[in-house]
Amino acid sequence: MTQTEISFKGRKRPLETALKAAFFLSSVIAIAATVGIVLSMLFETIRFFEHVSLSEFLFGLKWSPQTAIRADQVGSSGAFGAVPLITGTLLISAIAMVVAAPIGLISAIYLAEYASNRVRGIIKPMLEILAGIPTVVYGFFAALVVAPFLRMTGGQLGLEVASESALAAGLVMGVMIIPLISSLSDDALNAVPNALREASLGLGATKAETIKKVIVPAAIPGISGGFLLAASAAIGETMIVVMAAGLAANLTANPLEAVTTITAQIVALLTGDQEFDSAKTLSAFALGLLLFITTLFLNVIAMRIVNKYREQYD
Amino acid sequence: MSKPPIITARDVNVFYGQKQALNGITLDIPRNKVTSLIGPSGCGKTTFLRSINRMNDLVDICRVTGEIKIEGKDIYDKDVDVVELRAHVGMVFQKPNPFPKSIYDNVIYGPKIHGQIKSKADAQEIVEQSLRRAGLWDEVKDRLHESGTGLSGGQQQRLCIARAIAVSPAVILMDEPASALDPIATAVIEELIDELRKKYTIIIVTHSMQQAARVSQRTAFFHMGDLVESGATKELFTSPQDERTQNYISGRIG
Amino acid sequence: MTEFLISANKPLRRRHASETRFKWMGRIAIAASLGFLVVMLVSILTLGIGAFSRTEIALAVDLGDGDASSKKIVRNALFTSFPEVTSRAERRQLLRLPSADASRELDRQLAENPDLAGQVATLWFTASDDIDQLIKGAIDTDKPQDQRRISDQELAWVTQLQDLGQIRKVFNTGFFTSGDSREPELAGILSALMGSILSLTVCFVLSFPLGIMAAIYLEEFAKKGRWSDFIEVNINNLAAVPSIVFGLLGLSIFLGYFGMPRSSPLVGGLVLALMTLPTIIIAGRSALRGVPPSIREAALGMGATQVQTTLHHVLPLALPGMLTGAIVGMARALGETAPLLMIGMVAFIVDIPTKITDAATSLPVQIFLWADSPERAFLEKTSAAIIVLITLLVAMNLVAIILRKKFERRF
Repeated sequence: MTQTEISFKGRKRPLETALKAAFFLSSVIAIAATVGIVLSMLFETIRFFEHVSLSEFLFGLKWSPQTAIRADQVGSSGAFGAVPLITGTLLISAIAMVVAAPIGLISAIYLAEYASNRVRGIIKPMLEILAGIPTVVYGFFAALVVAPFLRMTGGQLGLEVASESALAAGLVMGVMIIPLISSLSDDALNAVPNALREASLGLGATKAETIKKVIVPAAIPGISGGFLLAASAAIGETMIVVMAAGLAANLTANPLEAVTTITAQIVALLTGDQEFDSAKTLSAFALGLLLFITTLFLNVIAMRIVNKYREQYD
Repeated sequence: MSKPPIITARDVNVFYGQKQALNGITLDIPRNKVTSLIGPSGCGKTTFLRSINRMNDLVDICRVTGEIKIEGKDIYDKDVDVVELRAHVGMVFQKPNPFPKSIYDNVIYGPKIHGQIKSKADAQEIVEQSLRRAGLWDEVKDRLHESGTGLSGGQQQRLCIARAIAVSPAVILMDEPASALDPIATAVIEELIDELRKKYTIIIVTHSMQQAARVSQRTAFFHMGDLVESGATKELFTSPQDERTQNYISGRIG
Repeated sequence: MTEFLISANKPLRRRHASETRFKWMGRIAIAASLGFLVVMLVSILTLGIGAFSRTEIALAVDLGDGDASSKKIVRNALFTSFPEVTSRAERRQLLRLPSADASRELDRQLAENPDLAGQVATLWFTASDDIDQLIKGAIDTDKPQDQRRISDQELAWVTQLQDLGQIRKVFNTGFFTSGDSREPELAGILSALMGSILSLTVCFVLSFPLGIMAAIYLEEFAKKGRWSDFIEVNINNLAAVPSIVFGLLGLSIFLGYFGMPRSSPLVGGLVLALMTLPTIIIAGRSALRGVPPSIREAALGMGATQVQTTLHHVLPLALPGMLTGAIVGMARALGETAPLLMIGMVAFIVDIPTKITDAATSLPVQIFLWADSPERAFLEKTSAAIIVLITLLVAMNLVAIILRKKFERRF
C-alpha cells in the first residue's frame, strides 16, 4: 500500500481574518461608547469650571442658572450651587426606594418561596410589564393623576401639598423600579441552596421563620445589589421628574414640597434655544458628569456584590 | 508488519493550566487497524485522542508538549493548519451530533468547506458513497433532504460517521461512539468500524473492554495520565504485563 | 405524650398566625403593584379612547360664486345657518364652531368632488376642539358659564345643530394621517410615528449587526482573560447608564463635534443604537451560549475554521434568540424620551419626515409635548398617543415571545 500524500499546510483566508477583525472591533465599541460619554462631558465640564468654581458647584446652596438678558443687569451671572439639586434628587429617590424596596422584596419573597409555578408564571411577566412601560407614561400619570390626587387628599387632611410635590414623583418612580428590585431579589432568593431551607425547616421552624431568619439573611448580598441598581435607576430617571417634579430648586426635606433634580435641570437647561459656551448650558454637562459618576459608582458596587454572591453559591 | 505506523506519538504531555493530564505518552498507531484506548474515566484516553486532531486547542488553558507525527509530519509544528489537519483526521463524538440540517447537507458540509466539490454530480456521488460506507444509504436514500436530527440515535451516529468519511480522512478518531446507543445500534456501529478499517486507520476510545476486544486489533491502556501498556488486543487481554492492567480488566479498578 | 404535635398550644398558634400574615403581605405587595398598573392603564385608556373619534358639523355651503374664497364660503354658510346671530361678537363666536382648518377642508372636498362647484351642498366639517369635547361629554354643562370653555350661547347652537342632525361623530382618521398641530382637533401622530420609525430603523441597522458581531467575538473568539472581562464590565455598565447621559453624548459629539443635523432621526437613531447595543450584546451572548458545544465540536472536528463554524452552524441556531433580544431592545428604544430631548428632537413638527436627516420628533416625545399643552383636548390626544405607543410595544413584545416559542429548541 502506498503512503498517502498528506499536507497540513493551510490556505490563507483573508476574508476570515477581516471578519475576525470586525468582530473584535465591534466589541471595542462598547468601550468607545464609555470613553465617548466621559470625554463628551469632561470637556464641557472643564469649560464650565472656567466660569464657576468647583466648590461653588458642589457646596453652593443656591441654584438659579438664569443668566440675565443684558450683561449689566443685576445677578447676570446666575447661581450654580448644585446642593438643592442633589438633595432634591436624593429626596425623590429615597421616596421611590421607600415604596419599591418593601413591595419589591416582599413580592419577590412571595413569588420565590410561596407561589406555585403556575402563579409565578403569570405574575412575574405581569410585574415585568411595569418595567416595560415608557417612563414618559409614568410621568404623564404622575402629573395628571397622582399629583392632583395627593394635593386633594392632603387638602382634606389640612396639609399643604405642592402641585409638583416630591412625593408624587417619588411614588410613581417607586412603582417603576419595583420590578428591578423584585427580579434581582428573586434571583438572589433562588440562589440560596435548598440545603439551608431544609436545615431550618427540619429544625421545626415555620416557613416564614425560615425565610426571615435564614433565607433572606443568606440572600442579603444579592438583594442589596438589586437595591443599589434600583437606586441608581431612580437617580438617573428623567422623564418622571421632568413632568411631575418641576424646576423649583428648593432646599428641603419635606416630601410635600416641590423640589427639582439633576436630570430635570439638565433637560431644562438643554431644551429650547441655547447658547453654547454660556455657563448655563455648560452647567448641564457638569451635572451630567456628576450623574454619570454617581450612577457608575453605584452600578459597579452593585455588580461586584452580585457577582461575588453568585460565586459564593456556585 | 512491514508498514510503518501512520501516527507516532513521542513523550506527549498535556496540561490543563497547572494540572498535568497526560504524562509522557509514547505510542505508535498502526495503519489500517483499529486501535482502542481503554482505561478508567479520567485516565487521559480522551485527552490523548483529542490531541491527535488538536481539538484540545479549543480549551484556552490547554498546553501540549512532545510530538505527534502523522505520516512523519509533526502536527504541532508552527506551519500546521489545524483546519487542514482535521480534514485528514476526522472525528466522531460520544453523543451523535448531526447538524440540525438535512442529511444531505450534513454529509456534504465537509467536502464543501474543503473545496472538494467540483460539480453537483460530484456532490451526489460523495453523499451516496459516504452514506453507503456508513451503512446508512438504504435507510435514508429516500429522505436525504429531511433533517438529520430526525433519525434514531444509531442512525444519527452513522450519519456522523458518514459525515466524517465524506472528506476522505486518513484517520478517524472515535470518542466512545456507541456509549449513547442501545445494544442493537451498538452492534451495527461495531460491524461498521470493522468494515471501515480496510480504508481508514481508526482510533477508538471506549469504556467497554468487551467492545475493545470485539473491534480492535491493538489496545492501549491508560491509567491516571500514564500509558500503562499497549499491544495486540488479544495479548493485552489474555496476558497483561502490568498489574494495573490486570486489575482493570479483571474489574478491580475502574 | 404527643401533645406537642397538636398545633393548639398557644405559642405555636401565634407562630402559624404570623406565617399567614407574612403570606398575605406578599399577596398585598403584588396586588399593590399590579393594582397601580391597572389603574394607570385604565385611566389612560378611558382618557384617550375619545381621541379616536372626531366630531363633525354639517354646513350647507353655497358654492355658486366661483370667486369667493373658501374662508368666506364657510363664513357665509355659518351665518345663513344661524340668521338670528347678527352682533359682531356673537358672529366671531359662531365662527369658532368649526375647526380653524374648515376652509382647507372645503378645498379638499372640492378637489375630490369637482361636481360640487356651482351647487349648494351640505358638507361635513371638523368641529373645534371645545365643541368636540362638549359632544364627548368632557365638559360639565352644569357648571356656571364662566367656569367652562363653552358659553351658554354656544351650547344653544350646538343643541340646535344636534336637533337638526347636523352633528355627528366619526372615526378620527386624521389622528393617524396628520402631523402635529396647534389646534388639538387637527393634531395627529403621523409625524411623530414616522420620526420614531426612522430613528428605530437607524438604531436597528447599526446596533443589530454591531451587537451580534460583538457578541460573537466575546462568546466565540475572545480568550477569557482581563481584556474580555474589561469589555464585559464595560457593557454591563453601559446598560445601566442613565439614558439622559447618552443624550448628552449625542449633543456634544454627534451634534457638536461631527455637526450632524439637529433634531434628526439620524442622530436620534445613533444615540438609541448606543443605548440598545448592550441589550443586544447581552441577549446575543446568551443566545450563543444556548447553542450546544457539540455542534461546534462537530464542525471543528471535521476541519471547519472557527469563522466557518460560527457562521454556518452557531449563528443560524442563535439568530432567533438574538432577534428576540433585539426586538426587546428596540421596544425599549421606542419608548425612550430623555436622550431625544437632548438632541433637539423636541420640536413642533407638522410635516411628515421622510429622510433620516429631516427634523423630526418621536412618539414618546410627542406625548411629552402634548402632555404640556394646556388645552383639555390635548389631554385626550396625549392619552391616545400613549395607547398607540403601548399597543406598539405590546405588539413588538408579542412578536418576540412568538419568535422565542417558535424557535425554542431542546438539544
